[in-house]
Amino acid sequence: MKFSTKKLYLPLIALLFSACSLDEVQDPNGPSLTGTLGNPNQETLNFLVSGLEAEIRNGRGAFITATGTIARELYDFNSSDPTSTVALLGKDGEQLNGSEPQLTGTIFARYQVAKSADFILEAADNAPITDAQRRGYRAFALTMRGYALLDVLMLLNNNGVRLDIDDPNNLGPFVSRSEGFTAITQLLNDGFAELNGAEFSFALSSGFAGFDSPETFGEFNRAVAARVALYNGNDGGALTLLNDSFFTLDGSNLNVGPKRFYGLAPETLNPIFKTPQQSTDQYVVHNRMISGLRAGDTRGSKFTVRNDATPRDGLNGTHEISLYASTSDPIDHIRNEELILIYAEASINTNAFQDAEDALNILNAAYGLAPYAGAQNATELTDELLYHRTYSLWAEGHAMFDLRRLGLLNASFLPIDRPGDLVHTEFPIPPFE
Amino acid sequence: MKNNYLKLKLLTIAFMLSVSGVLAQNIQVSGTVTDASNGEPIPGVTVLVKGTTNGAITGIEGEYELSVPSDAILVFSSVGYSSQEVQASSAGDIALQTDVTNLDEVVVTGLATSIKRSNLANNISTISSEALTGTTTGSTLDGALYGKLTGVNINAAGGAPGGQTALRLRGISSLSGNNQPLFIVDGVYISNVQLTSGSSIASGANAGREEGGSNRVSDINPEDIESIEVLKGASAAAIYGTRANAGVVIITTKRGQAGKTTINFEQDFGFNEIQNYAGRRSFTRELAESAFGAGAQYDAVVAQNGGLFNYEEELYGERGFITDSRLSVSGGGNKTKFYFNASRRDEDGIMLNTGYDRTSFRLNLDHTITDKLKIGTSTNYIQSHADRGPVGNENNGGYSVGYNLAFAKDWENFFPDENGVYASGGFGGVNVIFNRDFIINSEDVDRLIQGANLEYLALQESNYQLKFQLNGGLDFFNAKTLVYIPENHEIQRGTTQGFVATSANRSFQYNYNAFAVFDYFTNNDISISTQVGVSYLNFESDRVSTQTTQLIPGLVNAGDGGSFAAGQRITDEEEFGIIGQSTVNWADRVIFTAGVRLDKSNLNGDVNEYYAFPRTSLAINIANFDFWNASAVNLFKLRAAYGETGSSAAFGSKYTSLGTTVIGGRTGLALTSGSQQLGAADIEPETSQEIEFGADFAFLDGKVGLEATVYNRKVLNLIYPFSSIPLSSGFGTAIRNDFDLVNKGVELSLNANVISNDNITWNSTVNWWRNVAEVESLGVGEFQPSGEGFSLTFGSSYIREGENATAIAANIDGTPTIIGDAAPDFEMSWFNQITFLSDFDLTFLWHYKEGGDILNLTKLLSDFGGTTADLNDPDLTRSFGEQGAAGYIEDGTYIRLREVGLFYNLPIESKIFERVRVGLSGKNLITITDYSSYDPETSAFGPSGLSQGIEVTPFPSSKQYYFHLGLRF
Repeated sequence: MKFSTKKLYLPLIALLFSACSLDEVQDPNGPSLTGTLGNPNQETLNFLVSGLEAEIRNGRGAFITATGTIARELYDFNSSDPTSTVALLGKDGEQLNGSEPQLTGTIFARYQVAKSADFILEAADNAPITDAQRRGYRAFALTMRGYALLDVLMLLNNNGVRLDIDDPNNLGPFVSRSEGFTAITQLLNDGFAELNGAEFSFALSSGFAGFDSPETFGEFNRAVAARVALYNGNDGGALTLLNDSFFTLDGSNLNVGPKRFYGLAPETLNPIFKTPQQSTDQYVVHNRMISGLRAGDTRGSKFTVRNDATPRDGLNGTHEISLYASTSDPIDHIRNEELILIYAEASINTNAFQDAEDALNILNAAYGLAPYAGAQNATELTDELLYHRTYSLWAEGHAMFDLRRLGLLNASFLPIDRPGDLVHTEFPIPPFE
Repeated sequence: MKNNYLKLKLLTIAFMLSVSGVLAQNIQVSGTVTDASNGEPIPGVTVLVKGTTNGAITGIEGEYELSVPSDAILVFSSVGYSSQEVQASSAGDIALQTDVTNLDEVVVTGLATSIKRSNLANNISTISSEALTGTTTGSTLDGALYGKLTGVNINAAGGAPGGQTALRLRGISSLSGNNQPLFIVDGVYISNVQLTSGSSIASGANAGREEGGSNRVSDINPEDIESIEVLKGASAAAIYGTRANAGVVIITTKRGQAGKTTINFEQDFGFNEIQNYAGRRSFTRELAESAFGAGAQYDAVVAQNGGLFNYEEELYGERGFITDSRLSVSGGGNKTKFYFNASRRDEDGIMLNTGYDRTSFRLNLDHTITDKLKIGTSTNYIQSHADRGPVGNENNGGYSVGYNLAFAKDWENFFPDENGVYASGGFGGVNVIFNRDFIINSEDVDRLIQGANLEYLALQESNYQLKFQLNGGLDFFNAKTLVYIPENHEIQRGTTQGFVATSANRSFQYNYNAFAVFDYFTNNDISISTQVGVSYLNFESDRVSTQTTQLIPGLVNAGDGGSFAAGQRITDEEEFGIIGQSTVNWADRVIFTAGVRLDKSNLNGDVNEYYAFPRTSLAINIANFDFWNASAVNLFKLRAAYGETGSSAAFGSKYTSLGTTVIGGRTGLALTSGSQQLGAADIEPETSQEIEFGADFAFLDGKVGLEATVYNRKVLNLIYPFSSIPLSSGFGTAIRNDFDLVNKGVELSLNANVISNDNITWNSTVNWWRNVAEVESLGVGEFQPSGEGFSLTFGSSYIREGENATAIAANIDGTPTIIGDAAPDFEMSWFNQITFLSDFDLTFLWHYKEGGDILNLTKLLSDFGGTTADLNDPDLTRSFGEQGAAGYIEDGTYIRLREVGLFYNLPIESKIFERVRVGLSGKNLITITDYSSYDPETSAFGPSGLSQGIEVTPFPSSKQYYFHLGLRF
């Protein structure tokens, strides 16, 4: 018995030991992060650059509707999300808690851009490329990192911004608002400095047409830096930076500037376009926009009368958005029109009232309005400036910050649509940070 | 002494019975075996010479004939009847007693061995074909199981034709996918994936899981099934290792028997009807005007139509016709036996343009090559087609009819005008009638399941035998999904101008087991059965999907459009295991089993590291000891079992990868919405450790049986995608495995043959079970499991240390607060089979679920759209603004008449027909519940993951009525 058992088990034991060794499977559905960054070349870097440019479009819709709702520019009438008219408008005194999807979506998208920038910086250090090429990649990455983090700082404001995200399991601290501005300015300055002697061995989309060489990209960098300086109260700095940007005091050049590229699949659709007269979801213009619009202002074409003005959640508006003509229309990163407004505002703040009036009259002329007839003082010129910022940059994610900067983001300036509504001024840090 | 050794030997080789031997000094024995309760002949009864493999199987009229030694003892056994031993000299016509406890039933518990039910140490439920489909038919297998066994909880994602069912055995096993049990059909591991159609891209739903696609176990034709064994927990399923954390469902299909060729033809006609309407708000002109400013529109539709529409009834009020035809032929000789089945089911849904059809062919062959070598094959080809309609969750896509119904007003005229033009929807919804009439959401599946087994009896001596078994097979399917939204759809107009998403899904998986089974019998009443073997499986899937927009009017073709995108997802899984198990049986008094499985998987961090899954169990049949003399108690068994199983991470959990993006025609790499996971490169399998205790009793010759089981099943190191990581990391989820939970449960089953006389036989089963899943420890304290709910604003499943893992939470004043628990307090079912006036069979199954909260987001949406039925009630206090989602938690208690059937055997004397049977039956005919929406058995999130207690405008469930005709030739 004993003997036969042994004999019988022999073939079986042989079978067990011949057991196959399993092979490690590489991810068949995406390039691994370590593999991509571990052995980078110019092609890898170019993929990462295009990835960053694609990513920086993300979260734009939520950024615009969140800040636009708070600033009473528009309402997001959304069948799938009844909260779009609740927390952001402080309905029944509701405070923001930081988990609003519009906020978290935007912040997440911006940090993915910062992460892409970090990938480029890491890969550029290790790739077999020339020093000039390396400077080009670094300039792009540093500029975009600063540009993306500015949105985070503007949303969180006094709650600061996190800068160091190198180790996902050990993230850096949130720094204060002023430290945030300093760091973002530094990123932009470092990016600008890298452009000196840089070569762009990568291509950007047609959205960056005219801003895709080291020299012209530098003009974009300086334009963003001017925006940062204005937001940071450094008006003199803003005026200086404008000189190195693509800023021109020319009413026919208002739309010049790099743009976010949108298109049909496999591209991304313009998130601010809505089918005209669509019932399910619509961006409805706040009535204060309609009542405040001066007669003859051609920017009124951004609004269209709704055929069926069904109210939502105690809110209503006579007009809906018609800012973009199709889902493939681009959205500006920053354009000359904004630079003119930065110039005007910085000029007012440095008491160069004539410069400010001249700049604002460029817009008056461009939009079919009479020249400025008010007094040359800071108060009245600021009112004129705010009017133009309101309509030139409507639904582009500026109004909330403009009103806050001018001390007007409050219930005494803005209309309260429903009793109990609040005007929020900044977002808390999201809960899981 | 000798008896017991022989008994065991008989069991282990019970399937080799057809070999009839001729021995010296034989006598000829013949007779008929009948059912003692009604005198009906019983075909397929095993007649064995005790202690040998000699035997026969009764024919269609219960007849048998064999030549046996004159001093032999014959054992007559058949599932469902108590075995009987008779001296060969006095054998002849035999009447078998019904055994509701099925003590002699053979249960497959190891990969290569089986055990008699009376010796089992686990509570293993077996569902016979009679219990599965004997009462009524249904379109899917998993749906036919509910209420028929303890420890099971089933939720359907809706009533769309083709089914979609989440089957849970003994609570929660996983958060990351493998919460569905392993399905094995005739030894083949079959795929039960939920196909994603791509409709979520157009509808804006958050994930493919919300699309409501069917899961692929629905391809199995329930009529092919001979029996289903359900290994519910780790203690029973340990031998299946890392695929068995959520239990194992072992399906055995019908096989041929030697003798007269039997032809069965069965034809069912029936219809689907909505179970329950959620109801619509009734409007007056004044209300329409004051709430929506729509008085004029109200007047117009009343003038034109004579009243308001009821769009819920317009959508879901169809009576869907059902036909189900089945032809089976079986028979064979001593060496070769066959079973063939061809069937077709065709049903229309309760909404126009929805339906399901399935055509299935099966051929099972068994062949005895020599008296030591046997082979068997099972071949099943299935073709199915489902039109599931535009259903499921959505975000701004204007796609789902249910979702948009919440906003549709019954004074809107959605029907086409004389020019065929459909008006656009107002009031926040789209035209649901347009969607019903034109949107396509279909699935087409071609599938082949092929199993084969080979058995070789290498050695057989008086006190030992050695068998080799090789079995395996493949499951291959090619599935096509299609979603089509025409270019003139009101959301598509002006944006993407129509949408076609197609996907081709290729799934190929194969597995094999090779085992040696050694049985050894000592001369002191102890027998030892040992199995040693290996198991290998390889699963591959490849999904290629396309999306086309800018469509040419009227053409449904992914090539005819102006804008294209494509995607692909590949999975590749491979596992290898080594198994050893031994059972020691002392005279059927003490049965001890110990075993271990060593598994490795390419899903683990270290692909060649073995993980061990041990098991051990002990059953003591007290009634078999000599001191036991209570003759009324045939079985008194105490049992205990312990086992461990595992579940490797879902494919892809190991990886941290970049995704591709496109901008201006240029490809980019970045962390994208589809690829933002911080993987766990060194991930280990999650494991389940279960201990189960039970006591089983059988009284009065098996007329009454009671099984009681308690279990404690710990699930350790659960793998979960944790999405509450800092947004500023740039990653969307991190794979973690620091989550332990424990499922505790009780299962009781009482079977009784209540009445048994010439006029009436009544068998009744009462099952009662409960499970509580508690979160024992959680590395992150608490979190919202990703994909198990919407934001905490709308409520979600929520995992918090110290609470039940089935909790539902929502933000109240900004704080995540537990607002309900999806797990029922207990469930109970009552199954009855009554045969009366000899030719009538009445069966019915009641199912009672007590408790289990449901978050009724259907109502939240219709409140939001102002269309909920009770909004005119002046006492209404529900308010999303004040209570948030907490106002929408409802109790999901229900009592349901799940199945009822009445059949009659026509007293026809015919040369052509052996039996003519007609019947009427119904499924889900009565539901008593306070739940206010369509069906309390619901989940918005498909079969994977938790899938519990959250309803968002599902395809409403249907009830079904049938007429049956069965002909046996």
